[in-house]
Amino acid sequence: MDTIIKVENLRKVYRLGTEKVIALANINLDIHKGEICCILGTSGSGKSTLLNMLAGLEKPTRGHVYLGKHDIAQMNEKQLAKLRQRHIGFIFQSYNLLPALTALENVGMPLLFRGVSKHKRNKQAAEMLRRVGLEKRMKHRPTQMSGGQQQRVGIARAFVCKPEIVFADEPTGNLDSKTTKEVMNIMVEICRQYQMTLVLVTHDQEIASYADRIITLIDGEVVSDVKNHSILDSVQPISEFHEALYQQEQEENAAAEVVGQDQTLPQESAKDPVAPSPEELPEEEVQALETQQTKQTTGGVLQ
Amino acid sequence: MKISDQIIMCLQNLFRRKVRTLLTITGVIIGTCAIVVMISLGVGMQASQDAMLAQMGDLTIIDVNNYSGRTSTGETLKLDDAALRTIQAMDHVEVVTPFYNPSAWGAFTLVSGNGDRYQLDMYQVVGVYPEALEKLGYTLKSGNFLSSTQRDTIEILMGYYTPYDFRDTRKKRNNTVQYWMSDGEDMPDPYVDIEKDKMTLRINNTEEGGNTIDVKVRGTGILEMDSSKGYETGYGVFISVTQLKELEAKYNKLNGIKTDPNSDTGYTSVKVKVTDMKYVEEVQNAIKEMGYDTYSMEDIRKPMEEQARQTQMTLGGLGAISMLVAALSIANTMVMSIYERTREIGVMKVLGCMVSNIRSVFLMEAGTIGFLGGVVGIIFSYIISYIINVFGTGLSLGGGYYYAGGEMVKTSIIPIWLVLLSLLFSTLIGLISGFYPANRAVKISALEAIKNE
Ligand SMILES: Nc1ncnc2c1ncn2[C@@H]1O[C@H](COP(=O)(O)OP(=O)(O)OP(=O)(O)O)[C@@H](O)[C@H]1O
Ligand SMILES: [Mg+2]
Repeated sequence: MDTIIKVENLRKVYRLGTEKVIALANINLDIHKGEICCILGTSGSGKSTLLNMLAGLEKPTRGHVYLGKHDIAQMNEKQLAKLRQRHIGFIFQSYNLLPALTALENVGMPLLFRGVSKHKRNKQAAEMLRRVGLEKRMKHRPTQMSGGQQQRVGIARAFVCKPEIVFADEPTGNLDSKTTKEVMNIMVEICRQYQMTLVLVTHDQEIASYADRIITLIDGEVVSDVKNHSILDSVQPISEFHEALYQQEQEENAAAEVVGQDQTLPQESAKDPVAPSPEELPEEEVQALETQQTKQTTGGVLQ
Repeated sequence: MKISDQIIMCLQNLFRRKVRTLLTITGVIIGTCAIVVMISLGVGMQASQDAMLAQMGDLTIIDVNNYSGRTSTGETLKLDDAALRTIQAMDHVEVVTPFYNPSAWGAFTLVSGNGDRYQLDMYQVVGVYPEALEKLGYTLKSGNFLSSTQRDTIEILMGYYTPYDFRDTRKKRNNTVQYWMSDGEDMPDPYVDIEKDKMTLRINNTEEGGNTIDVKVRGTGILEMDSSKGYETGYGVFISVTQLKELEAKYNKLNGIKTDPNSDTGYTSVKVKVTDMKYVEEVQNAIKEMGYDTYSMEDIRKPMEEQARQTQMTLGGLGAISMLVAALSIANTMVMSIYERTREIGVMKVLGCMVSNIRSVFLMEAGTIGFLGGVVGIIFSYIISYIINVFGTGLSLGGGYYYAGGEMVKTSIIPIWLVLLSLLFSTLIGLISGFYPANRAVKISALEAIKNE
């Protein structure tokens, strides 16, 4: 599989006066295209720091982060902004929706920054909101929605321009367990559908179980990096629960897929050239379409 | 981001904080009003001055005299036809003509009618270049100007009231037509219609009963009276200067008067018309340079204009102070709005918004406040200006109008340049005030802004 994020000897040290805080000691990682990857760890272990550095929001003290072929330490403010608007989606713990805007406008935001016309923007945003089950909430403002609904808007916003990579820092941190499940399902499902790479930060093992791969951090150091099925076996205290969950989830996913196809992929969306459903197209066509799209919108930075 | 989306975003942001935006705009409105109204008063003052000066004399005409007949180094200085040609050749000079008065008093009399019944003593006879009068801006009541090609017949052009100077020699008392009670259409006819009736110019002999010489003359027309051009337009008789000099020579011969050609220093009085008021100073200086004495309305206008400008600056300066307060209030509004929007700006950055877009949206917001304040301020200024002009402020007798030689000039005048300038100024003030806040917005760290509290 293609490596989409490569981390080499990454170190981050904060200096507070004379004191040094080593947030990240020395990280080496390869994250592959289409992988759903969870960074797990206790509070203060350096998860957020790592994520922010992967997204280019923070400069490393030492080492490199490559997105595709690009070393983000070498990029200036403008290039980073371009990179984010074209290739990266972001989901926040506290949603961070703009309070003055409706759900539809919030979701259209990344497209707005890309200079997409209002008509096209609204069409794509509406499509995405439908995908997360908020077709009835399009004109609502964040204050008029529940936390779970707000986070679904946040998800729609992160995915609306079909980025290659989506970063999520504790996306379910403010949600109850039932809503957490809904939100996680939606995220994973969309990522799978478009073969996006998802990097997810959490301290919750339960959430980690949605991932293909679980990277555990302790005190700024990677202590384990495992495929998901193994964690289900190895993590004893919750394995029974997980097993059940996993089962249930598979069923739910299957159900959601069927429902999804019935509901959210009617003929009109299949015809839509902006958001083609990859499952409905033969492999080569998907490939061709994607390259074409990237040429138009991304200039193939990450290819 | 598209520019149209930036504009929409800017307007949405302003609209979201309606009250604050309105208050800030009000500051700019007051500032703009203060500046525009103050300057409009200055402009009104200057306009009334100009109107007054225009009544007093043509602003584009320079009088040239040769009082001393010597240059500053003591050489003889002549203001003759050659000198006039030099002046005519200068840049921006429209026309030059002598205003030549013969030295002999009462040398010529116009006679007309049966048995020379009607007579007019030509006291105010002026010799000019015949083609110059029209270019000087003189206007005709009837007939034509002097023709410049006519050589044999002597032509005369009269001032508006000159024909009424014909006396009826058969009457002992009240022997002229009484005209001064009438005006315009009601004017009675003079004894002689100078354009149609036969007239003769008589060269008088100083000795009672001595020989006189009669010369045929033709009246070409009558001028419109224009006090700013001088009394000659009312009471003078214009003749080609060459013909007048010939007549004078005949008179001198007849009366045995000898002249010394060596002591002749040319014309004593010459008028120069300049193409535009703004060149008067330049031309006047050039003529002074030649050694002549000059006089124009510019000599009065210059210091008056200088004073008017100073008044305008003072008034405008007062207005500018309130604009400065408005600028501070814009800056304050924008800084506050940045504090409120820190998180929002951070999120926008994380979602890939270019910093240049963030900066331009902020600048636009500040600029829009300035622009809107300017527009509304100008509208208010027009209303205030109207009120001043109609109801007056005690600045002058005629309500809000200055009386300048019978002509009414508004106290407050808002010219179009003032409108455009104040619009530009208020928008610029907005942009400048928004500059610092916009740069602060740009420097907001995306990471700090989105960190969970
Ligand atoms: N701006 C900063 N200045 C100084 N120290 C910092 C800064 N940001 C993070 N740290 C330190 O770096 C370490 C890692 O922080 P980080 O936010 O990555 O933890 P985390 O794993 O995300 O924890 P949590 O689960 O509580 O969010 C912590 O010890 C923290 O105190
Ligand atoms: Mg964290």
